Amino acid sequence: MARPRIEVLSRDEVEEIHLRSLNILNRVGVRIEHEEALNMLRDIGAEVDLNKKIVRIPEHIVREALKRTPPIVRLYHRDGKNYVELYGWSTYFVVGSAAYYYIDWRTGEIRRPMTRDLADVAKLADALPNTHIMSTALVPADIPEIVADRWRMYVVLKRCSKPIDTGAFTIEGVPDAAKLMKAVVGEENVSRKPFMIFAICSSPPLKWSSLTVQNLMDCAKYGIPVHIIPMPQTGGTAPATLAGAVLQANAEFLSGVVIAQFTKPGTPIVYSGSPTVFDQRFATSCTGYIEVGLMSAAFSHLAKFYGVPSASYTMVSDAKTFDQQATLEPAFGALISVLSGINMAIGSGMMLEENGISLLKLVIDDDIAGSALRFAKGIQIDVETLADWLIEEVGPGGLFLKYRHTREWWRKEHFIPKLLDKKTTDTWKKSGSKTLDTVAREFIEKVLKEHSVEPLPPDIEKSLDNAMLEILKKHKVEKVPEI
Amino acid sequence: MSVKEELFKRLKEAVVNGDPEEVSKIAKKVVEVGIDPLEAVEKALVAGVLELGDKWVKGEVFIADVVAAADAMKVGLSILKNEIVKRGRSVKYLGRIVIGTVEGDIHDIGKSIVATLWEASGFEVIDLGVDVPPQKFVEAVKQYKPDVVGMSALLTTSMLKQRETIEAIKQAGLRDKVKIVIGGAPTTEEWAKEIGADGWAPDAFSAVQLIKRLFGIEG
Repeated sequence: MARPRIEVLSRDEVEEIHLRSLNILNRVGVRIEHEEALNMLRDIGAEVDLNKKIVRIPEHIVREALKRTPPIVRLYHRDGKNYVELYGWSTYFVVGSAAYYYIDWRTGEIRRPMTRDLADVAKLADALPNTHIMSTALVPADIPEIVADRWRMYVVLKRCSKPIDTGAFTIEGVPDAAKLMKAVVGEENVSRKPFMIFAICSSPPLKWSSLTVQNLMDCAKYGIPVHIIPMPQTGGTAPATLAGAVLQANAEFLSGVVIAQFTKPGTPIVYSGSPTVFDQRFATSCTGYIEVGLMSAAFSHLAKFYGVPSASYTMVSDAKTFDQQATLEPAFGALISVLSGINMAIGSGMMLEENGISLLKLVIDDDIAGSALRFAKGIQIDVETLADWLIEEVGPGGLFLKYRHTREWWRKEHFIPKLLDKKTTDTWKKSGSKTLDTVAREFIEKVLKEHSVEPLPPDIEKSLDNAMLEILKKHKVEKVPEI
Repeated sequence: MSVKEELFKRLKEAVVNGDPEEVSKIAKKVVEVGIDPLEAVEKALVAGVLELGDKWVKGEVFIADVVAAADAMKVGLSILKNEIVKRGRSVKYLGRIVIGTVEGDIHDIGKSIVATLWEASGFEVIDLGVDVPPQKFVEAVKQYKPDVVGMSALLTTSMLKQRETIEAIKQAGLRDKVKIVIGGAPTTEEWAKEIGADGWAPDAFSAVQLIKRLFGIEG
């Protein structure tokens, strides 16, 4: 069975991008706005200009850092038993993270999200079979900004059993997240059975903010997995050429690997990316351009070359409302993700320049993900599936309906979408001529009403509550919204 | 066509084409033959950039073209400015704006594009760069006496610095001397109102309209 795959770079081209990245790190360097990191990199032999905060990294340091990076990253469910394994060609779909706006699934209104909206996203994601990793999807407006990053983790932890893609926007973000994780799985399992992965974004071109570096070094110290996310904008903060954008992003990724692996060897790292097309007509950063798929596929090739798992923001749409564009862009993205072996396809439910989450999009993305995953499995060829004996038996002009083979295999062979319409026109009309958004809305309503999330064991729930309470107290936050 | 008209036409074209070498060559020629440098700035340099800014808003050119034109204009300006000063005159802009990305935030591109588009709308723009502390904004207001201060923030955390900066400008007793406008992905009109800003723009297009509205210019 030939597994369907796409390759957008040849082996030689991958090698060339790698070598030129080393050259960039060695000749141009990266700007790192973090004193501890600068000192550490100077101590290991990088050429550091403390005034300009520029670090030029010699090749041997990058090679050593890559050697220290583990090839497999496991993300556990909060029960510490189930996990997804980021490795090889398997793709897992991930809800888009940290949206500042919520597109209300009932009214279509774009507004600031509340804690209860985040709880809805978590519950829905918990129920969706092809959405494997939840995220701290929204930044709720009903909690002070200063603790919003950790509040999101807490809310999601309570309402979803799946692994969580998250990030910190405060200095205390990671250490406090480790406390929340400890409350759930115990101290020894924070690094052994991590259920959160942190987004670490470089600031292109070739720059690292002090907060990001602090978060990265903290994750390394705790052994919490990170995905390092270069975010080149073609023609904005990166060359307009896809090759140039990929090259620059690759250099940024490698510099992140160096910071992490020399903070603590063995830090679990995923090669991630959020490439965008900087639209010269509107000065917007677009995620739905087809070239985003090409760059994402290139990142995946490079990740496989380095022997680390990969991720990319391939599921985000630029649509402003839930229309055709909101579904066709992630459909391309999902297919590209599975065909190029991107391990984490990020952005389910996400729209509006990575700024908004829509539940309508989330549930349809789940069908899109299911379809893409099915496609990636390809065509199974063996005696049983070729079924030449059956063709012989049925003969010219016969029908396959009544055979056991049909009953057994039809179900196995096809991905059956939950929401896409396959009825006859007449039945469709009789059942109300519903368009996809109506079907999706009804589905959401049903799941939110009927689905129940596996609750945390009472003692664990209590220790989690206490850990969060302490964090809130530290910041003098007394009133919190109901979840 | 007179020599002057011919030079102005070529100078404007060079700005529109974003060709700094050509702009530099012609600007030097303008000085050499003793043509009014102020008129060259207004009729060629600024006119060229205005034309491109206008074309971008209409969707006829790309933002990279506007940036290149603004850069070419600055090359010409630096050559002609000396000559203008020598003649005891000064370049007239529609207004002066100080802009920067607030402290704790190193996002450059949105702020820089808005700065360029404002330049391309006929304003003098002083760019303080990124990660600008409130105090630095205050000092810039004292030093440059701008009509408007523009603040960008791309992070939900750094957004809070917009409020701090406005407070700092207030405390320095300068709040009634300037109008303050804000922008950036996480900001909203409500946020602008809450922190007492005079205006808010969600994107580059609106930033151009906002500034024209503040100065009472027809968009």
